[in-house]
Amino acid sequence: MAATTAGHPAAGPASPRVVSVWNPANAVTASRYLTLPFLAWAVHNGYHQWATFFIVICALFDKLDGAVAKIFNCRSTFGELFDAITDGICYGFGLILVCAYGWAPVIPVLCFVGLGAVNTILRGVYIRRAGRAVNYKSYAMERVVAYIGYLIGFATGGMEVRFFYWVFVPVMVLIVVHDARRMLVDPVPPAGAKHA
Amino acid sequence: MNLVSDGMFRFLLSATTGGVGVVWTIHEIMLLMRLRGADRRDPLVRDQRFGYAMGIVIGLIGVFGTLRFNGVL
Repeated sequence: MAATTAGHPAAGPASPRVVSVWNPANAVTASRYLTLPFLAWAVHNGYHQWATFFIVICALFDKLDGAVAKIFNCRSTFGELFDAITDGICYGFGLILVCAYGWAPVIPVLCFVGLGAVNTILRGVYIRRAGRAVNYKSYAMERVVAYIGYLIGFATGGMEVRFFYWVFVPVMVLIVVHDARRMLVDPVPPAGAKHA
Repeated sequence: MNLVSDGMFRFLLSATTGGVGVVWTIHEIMLLMRLRGADRRDPLVRDQRFGYAMGIVIGLIGVFGTLRFNGVL
């Protein structure tokens, strides 16, 4: 069974606690993928309320996995990376889906997906610079991820879609530029640092 | 095929966007105020300040969007 070390120090000296990747928190994260076929079904059939319901479920599971990791004490670097990758796939899929069905404007969606891809590449560069599997923590990007979930909901719910999408483009550009400087230029904190 | 009536759906959208936007903005302002005395040269503090500031902007976007949605703005 594959395992990874927890991100926080263990009780014993130089003996980091080993956390299996098959843990409840990662199961909650993985279960978010189950909402995607239902989301696609709802959008394809023009069921706005059902589509909104499924993206809300997906977003709630995103909040739930962190809580489950705390309750079962199974936080790990792999879990953080898996969560970040799942965010990208689920929300990227949702954005492209609503755009493909004409529920969201194309140009802002292309901007979000493009900037998301740039951010993912930069995270890869950051991992190479660090020389270890590390999830780059960005307070601003955490807020962007939550907002992206909302953006899909705005599209499925038909709520001020053009306003919410276009207003967010410059905000996301600013955040990606800020994070790019930190990932490419600023020194990488040592392993075990609070802000790795 | 709907889950709730159109009026209820509109209300739920407004509540979950405007309500969360207001709470989110206040929460981020409080977090930002807690950092007033922190060392600005610390990269962690700088990142937190920027993140919380962006959180305020995002929260306000949610509030303004909700007001527009309900014809207030």
